[in-house]
Amino acid sequence: MGEKFPMIELMGLARKFNGVTAVEDLTFSVGRGEIFGLLGPNGAGKTTTVRMLCCLISPTSGKALVGGHEIGRDSMRIREITGLLPENPGLYPELSAYKNLDFYASLYGVPEGRRRENIRRMLEMVGLWNKRDEPVGTFSKGMQQKIAIVRAMIHEPQVLFLDEPTASLSPDAAKVVREFILELKRERRTIFLCTHNLYEAERLCDRVAILNTRLLAIGSPAELGRRFGRARTEVLLERLNKRIADAVKRLRTVRSVEVDGSRLLVETDDPDTANPSIVEAIVRAGGRIKYVTRPPNVLEEVYLKLVGKDEER
Amino acid sequence: MRRDRVWEIAKKDMASARRHRYVLYGLVIVPLILSVFMPLVYILPVMTSEVPEGGLPPFAPGGVSPKEAMIIAIVNMTVLLFMLIPAMVPSVIASYTFVGEKVNKQLEPLLATPTTDSEILMGKILGAFVPAMLATLLSFACLTAVVDVLTFQQLGYLLLPNLLSILVLCVYCPLMAMLSVSLCVFVSSKVSDVRAAMQIGSLSILPFLAFYLMFLSGILSLDIVPLVTFAGVLGAASAALYLLSRATFRREEILTRWR
Repeated sequence: MGEKFPMIELMGLARKFNGVTAVEDLTFSVGRGEIFGLLGPNGAGKTTTVRMLCCLISPTSGKALVGGHEIGRDSMRIREITGLLPENPGLYPELSAYKNLDFYASLYGVPEGRRRENIRRMLEMVGLWNKRDEPVGTFSKGMQQKIAIVRAMIHEPQVLFLDEPTASLSPDAAKVVREFILELKRERRTIFLCTHNLYEAERLCDRVAILNTRLLAIGSPAELGRRFGRARTEVLLERLNKRIADAVKRLRTVRSVEVDGSRLLVETDDPDTANPSIVEAIVRAGGRIKYVTRPPNVLEEVYLKLVGKDEER
Repeated sequence: MRRDRVWEIAKKDMASARRHRYVLYGLVIVPLILSVFMPLVYILPVMTSEVPEGGLPPFAPGGVSPKEAMIIAIVNMTVLLFMLIPAMVPSVIASYTFVGEKVNKQLEPLLATPTTDSEILMGKILGAFVPAMLATLLSFACLTAVVDVLTFQQLGYLLLPNLLSILVLCVYCPLMAMLSVSLCVFVSSKVSDVRAAMQIGSLSILPFLAFYLMFLSGILSLDIVPLVTFAGVLGAASAALYLLSRATFRREEILTRWR
């Protein structure tokens, strides 16, 4: 989807610190309006990549374009059209939520009338308008994170870089932030998300890249699951017996079957074509199906496999 | 350089600094001591007693009565001490706005905005410089009022403002403030503790101390050559430190090299 209108393009981007490689040879692109996830272990180079794309640090080699502007050459223009949520919110705790946002909006050159309007609209969106005059130092972590996200988009950037947006948030606060990110996607903003949270990546991202200094894989979570994971179908039955399991095992499209209580985990080459026959075989064998689904955490399986293999090298 | 962006950064730093206790102490206590306490403690006794000719300090002016010479000497000594305000106040503010923001990870979002390194640096320098100079000017106004009220009847003329005070306010104080802030910027790349930064930043008073001690001991007089030489030394030191701080205050340096 995103490849047709790339908003971010990396071409052999690399960065070394004192001779130590932080990222090497990154080549991929992110489309307009896409939520793109960058996954990787600590020290994989995620933050370094974001910092290069936000023109905070320069690459050692390679180049990258953001919104058609080259990093290092059109840095000011890139900073105008991008918003950054760093790993730490970095708000000014002694200033009110309104003043924090007003300060950043003025640095992004948002005209005063528009500034007031944006602050109000976005604070209302995150449910903090009534707390606008309170110092952010008195806010909970979740509230501070929301203010930091609003700060990153106060100038309505085309591209948002979010570094671990839900790290250290409670589950309910993380849910609010995730919903907010989906809201931004509906506004056709390009979102570049660095995260450790594979569940979050799977739910939010159109495509993900797995990074461990170098790019290990890129694609949609489903594609990666097909390419690197075991393509599995989970079937929950009212009652599971040997006859039903054997009927499924006999199918040519089935590679293996695992039985877990009344749950069947069926590995196939292609679930899309194999699932109808699996369901048919179960029903013929007298099974009553409660549901058929793809097992969760496909991305986790892929991630662990790829990163584990890479670290063995 | 866009002045509106510079001023926004300075305003934000001033608003943040106002909330810190130590900044308020620096802005209020030292100026109060210099502008009210010192003239009252040192000038009042002179006004009410006789000054013997041999009891004058080496930096007292000649050609006037011993009492007048003593008053002028005390006032000049106090005026010179005013250089402490622009040396101390910015080091406290700058420690919070540079080291404090570095420690609290507040610099990264700021660096991601479409402002240049020079605009951010200049905004932060102004944010420390303006309150320091305002405190200096305000307390000098207090000193002028106190000194003139105390001495006018005795001297028959207004002792302050005099040439030395104008030189101190217009040349020495801004240079001292600049020296102090630049030192703090440089220090902030090396330390991760606000108090350590304040302590190292307070070293900016060293040139002043050297000058002041030489003045008190009579090695230097308040003549044109020593005054201009001191201004030159301060100017050169603050220019060198400013250039050093500009070289240190770069996005790449801050994010990759600052400890």
